[in-house]
Amino acid sequence: MPATYENIATTTLTSNTTNVEFLNISQAFTDLVLVVSAKDSGTGTVNTNIRVGNGSFDTGSNYSYTFLGGSGSAASSGRSSNITSTLWGAIGTTNNTVAMLHFMNYSNTTTNKTILSRNSLPDQSSGQSVSAWALLWRSTSAINRIQLYPGGQQFASGSTFTLYGIKAA
Amino acid sequence: MIIPGIIASRFTPQGDFESIATVSVGAGGSSSISFNSIPSTYQHLQLRWIGRTNRAGNASDTVTIALNSDSGANYSYHNLYGDGSAAGAGAGANTTIMYVGWVAGATALSNTFGVGVLDILDYANTNKYKTVRSLTGRENNGSGIVSIESNSWRSTSAVTSLTITSQFGGTYQQHSQFALYGIRG
Amino acid sequence: MPVTYKKIASVTVGAGGATNIEFTNIESTYTDLILLASLRTNHTTVGVGGRLTFNNSATGYSERLLYGTGSVAASANNSGAYIIWSVDGNGTGSTANTFSNVEIYIPNYAGSTNKLISSNLIVENNATAATIYANAGLWSNTAAITSIKITADNGSYIQHSTATLYGISKS
Repeated sequence: MPATYENIATTTLTSNTTNVEFLNISQAFTDLVLVVSAKDSGTGTVNTNIRVGNGSFDTGSNYSYTFLGGSGSAASSGRSSNITSTLWGAIGTTNNTVAMLHFMNYSNTTTNKTILSRNSLPDQSSGQSVSAWALLWRSTSAINRIQLYPGGQQFASGSTFTLYGIKAA
Repeated sequence: MIIPGIIASRFTPQGDFESIATVSVGAGGSSSISFNSIPSTYQHLQLRWIGRTNRAGNASDTVTIALNSDSGANYSYHNLYGDGSAAGAGAGANTTIMYVGWVAGATALSNTFGVGVLDILDYANTNKYKTVRSLTGRENNGSGIVSIESNSWRSTSAVTSLTITSQFGGTYQQHSQFALYGIRG
Repeated sequence: MPVTYKKIASVTVGAGGATNIEFTNIESTYTDLILLASLRTNHTTVGVGGRLTFNNSATGYSERLLYGTGSVAASANNSGAYIIWSVDGNGTGSTANTFSNVEIYIPNYAGSTNKLISSNLIVENNATAATIYANAGLWSNTAAITSIKITADNGSYIQHSTATLYGISKS
């Protein structure tokens, strides 16, 4: 029987890496919490992508997002729909971004999957340096795999990704 | 003492984040969800939800919460939100309920629910009013909103119950779920 | 197997008030830290900033803020001798008996890279004026965090202010 709040898996990169994946995720929990501390190995701030799936990653136009963001000088909001992967925050090149993604009721097979993300990039300006996101995967399948990748870049060596499960009574 | 592996595996250490109770809405729907007799043995509470109501003609509904069944004008709220077009902020004083976050309404995409994570710190402390923070959102593939919500209940009573309703009188639909956790201090 | 979410220490301000709230001798055995705080000061404004520092260092801090005032959403940035936007408390200009609600996440606090924080805080008030802050903070120092100090930017913390530090462990 799992604890209420339990570590499922951790990935710490030992080299620059394009895709970070969690596979065969236990279905024993109610929610997942993914904590990311990462930067990119390239030359500029980039938005980062996520795909999820059951058995395989969904690459169809089944994702969308709405965000609230602050650049350090202006607050903004935006959205995108019918996309083949969804953004969840920005990462930079000097210091890591901290992000926490909540996959709510990820293992149920009756609802589409909504994810909350809270992202903090302190030292580089982008519209999503400090941001909150609502993400949607339009599928009632349980999530048993997660894929993260920065747009056109790689996660830098030393970036960490830790997946936790929260189990409701 | 050496514990055999089979027995040892049943004693997973729980830590200081514990599940208190969970309510999953059944086929008939529910106009309100309640957590009663909340023990005072934790320091903080966290509520995590997915929800959808039958609010007619709208893809959105708002989660409202009364603490200890207080329906007096003893609450206030503030929010910081992004609706996909603009960032904004709002406020309300002397309200009769807390406005804590988002769920989907009747015209939202099928099977799509709003979500939230809410924290009440020092919920059982009888020396302070109760301050409630939540991160919440709903996304509808072309519309949606994400926000940080702030609420206050002007009572020094320990929180012993949460009564969850819809701002617009909607009925929570099947598969909506509210899970209450306690954090030890 | 360590527990994942574990209380490390808790501080409750007594009748005499406190200028500082501190956690010292923080063990390096966890992966991340979470600080939950409920704060009020005796200063006259609605909200009162708090100075967050690590290891008693007064250099290398910067931050980027997204905030709401009850009527306006905006963003700002800052650098200096402390993080100023992550540990606000209520002041006496706000509704009586009302304390802030603060959450700070510090990943890899014992690692050898610069230290980051992600925080959310609210200062409630039964009026339009109040504070919601989402902050991204940086301490440009590769030392492991062994102590955390919160200092009211004005006044001091009053009785019943609390702060609790938790350790999050990966397996």
